[in-house]
Amino acid sequence: MESRVAEGVRPMSELDDIDALARTYRARLLRFVAYSTGDADLAETIAQDTLLRAYNGRASFRGECSVATWLTGIAIHVLRDMQRTERYRFWKRVKSTAIDVHEMASFLPADGSSPEAQLLAKEKVEHLAQALENLSKKQRTIFLMRFTEEMTVADIGEVLGMQIPTVRTHLHRALKAVRGELGARI
Amino acid sequence: MTPELSPHLPEEAMDDALMGLGAPEWEAHLAHCALCRGRLEAFRREVREFNQASLAWSEARAAQVPRAAPRPKARPALAAAAGWVLAAAVLLAIALPVWNHQHGSSPGYASRDASGDAPAAVSVPGDSEAQIAEDNELLRSVNAVLNSDEASPISEYHLADGPRARLKGRRELRNR
Repeated sequence: MESRVAEGVRPMSELDDIDALARTYRARLLRFVAYSTGDADLAETIAQDTLLRAYNGRASFRGECSVATWLTGIAIHVLRDMQRTERYRFWKRVKSTAIDVHEMASFLPADGSSPEAQLLAKEKVEHLAQALENLSKKQRTIFLMRFTEEMTVADIGEVLGMQIPTVRTHLHRALKAVRGELGARI
Repeated sequence: MTPELSPHLPEEAMDDALMGLGAPEWEAHLAHCALCRGRLEAFRREVREFNQASLAWSEARAAQVPRAAPRPKARPALAAAAGWVLAAAVLLAIALPVWNHQHGSSPGYASRDASGDAPAAVSVPGDSEAQIAEDNELLRSVNAVLNSDEASPISEYHLADGPRARLKGRRELRNR
């Protein structure tokens, strides 16, 4: 982790502009929470709360990790706090908006390849999304932190309060399960 | 007999390489083995495509439900002032009826006499001597009906007697 901030002096950063913060990170947060929880609507709320909490607590950002990693850590805490509440359990029972993997796969940007190749790529995306759904909540979150948010194993351990070997074990299990779901291709 | 070692990366080493925790000897193997590199690259490509699609999906979703960036909370001083105003309003809402109650200005207490004594006795229309006499007569007639010589079910079916008498009474009842 690189240290960006001189001791005692915090320069003006992107954290000081909440609109810019939302513009830059909202979609990314939304994706992380949506695929971590499997609930698109809940992800909206968590993303909003995370940005607000980050803005209010921006003085505590020491620049020891990237803003994206810091926000992911806050999102994990917001999610944990919310999952403890009765209101969350109630709404989870009553209304949970599952993600439509077919719809999501249709957003795969066209890269100039043949229609057949694009169809195949979309199918692969759907398979991976379904494989993620079958992981345990913890495995899924850690998988996303590593491969979607591109966090290091050490950063994941720090955010989740886990030892590196524990993170590694969860990742091994997640990878084994995902590979099993995806078949012999990888 | 020692098992034959695979010339390629075992699954665990492949996972470690994906996690960014690959051991130097496996990294060296990857540098030379196109098959293992291909397997790693295939997984990375699938993840990359998933990341692209899911990010485009969430961007579209964020744009579809246009929400303003979350507003920071109101300044504490302003929030505190609003709290005090609310508290004062609640206090007034409680205090005014109590004051009115104690000083008798409420219309609900208009029947009190001017000297502030206890309210006058409540007069119910129709509560006259004639009405009382009429009611008494009605009650007497009810009593007369109740005290008539009609046999009670207990004595009629010998329910107050012993068990044998009760059995006899039930038998008679069934035979009727």
